[in-house]
Amino acid sequence: MAGPNGILAAVLVAIAAAGAVACGPKRLAEPTPPTPPTGQALIVLLPDEDGTTGRATVSNAAGAVDLAAPRDASHVTGNRPPGAVTTMSEADVTRLFGNALSALPPAPRTFTLYFRFESDELTAESRALVPEILSAVKEHSAPEVVVVGHTDTMGSPAANFALGLKRAASVGSLLVTAGLDRSTVEATSLGESYLLVRTPDETPEPRNRRVEIAVK
Amino acid sequence: MKNVNWLTCVCVLGLVAPVFAQQPTAAGRVKVASGSAFVVRGGTELPARAGENVFEGDVLRTGADGRLGVTLKDDTRVSLGPASDVRVDKFIYAPSEGNLALALKIVRGAAAYVSGRIAKLSPDAVRLETPAAIVGVRGTTLAIKADE
Repeated sequence: MAGPNGILAAVLVAIAAAGAVACGPKRLAEPTPPTPPTGQALIVLLPDEDGTTGRATVSNAAGAVDLAAPRDASHVTGNRPPGAVTTMSEADVTRLFGNALSALPPAPRTFTLYFRFESDELTAESRALVPEILSAVKEHSAPEVVVVGHTDTMGSPAANFALGLKRAASVGSLLVTAGLDRSTVEATSLGESYLLVRTPDETPEPRNRRVEIAVK
Repeated sequence: MKNVNWLTCVCVLGLVAPVFAQQPTAAGRVKVASGSAFVVRGGTELPARAGENVFEGDVLRTGADGRLGVTLKDDTRVSLGPASDVRVDKFIYAPSEGNLALALKIVRGAAAYVSGRIAKLSPDAVRLETPAAIVGVRGTTLAIKADE
């Protein structure tokens, strides 16, 4: 299967749930006045930051509609079927969702670093990415750096979990030595369970010997 | 199970304070907060500041002048405009066990959502709810591989 690597710039959906809320036993105290018996929602599909647009399905017990184009919108009232899809103007998107959109945190950035065979030693090219990683960290408030180690399929899954962890730890230490605050770094391993390049077992594959770093 | 791997790495690296390991794993972290913005936990409104952890079950809440932005552990991002409540109904992110689930309920107000790895790995595991409708995110056709 495809690995979890890479930036996923996926569907951006903006939602306004107006007015009513169905009562439920677990509901926390609401600062709103008593609510009418039905709720309303406006769901708008927006383009991703990379310019493409995803898909979303709006449904309730009465029906469903698909949103597939930029600014496709559906208005839903109570238990009626979701409203027919319309295209919302950019001005209306800004008017209704500008505040929410402006509070979106910056997109996480991902880096993939590669290792020499059966080693926790980075390739020279990957080692050269460290300054870029450190500068990406500065672009985020309350930054987190998540380092996930991966291996190829040579050796047992257990040994590869350990090797992946060793790789992640090695890169974590490298980043801390290079100046990153220790408390921002988390390291973990996925061993050979998320191959970047799908191979049979016991196959050396340099592109699978990697750590993926998410800076967010 | 998710905690096992995570704790192992904590021990190996010593990168996280041991006291933190006793607590449940956070679902995400507040990145943007302005005006009146809160994380509601167990009925108590805690002021939301950048760096504050968010846990499954928490409600993100803003007042009339508030804005709030959170990045979850799977890189999902969610943000709130003023006068909004969004509840993190479910967050499970354990890709090594294939265990993934995300449910957000937009209770009131305006919110923006950008899908993360859960939507990429398992689109059916993502559920966005409003009082009137459920939104299923189909991000699979958008999954973009990026080796930088």
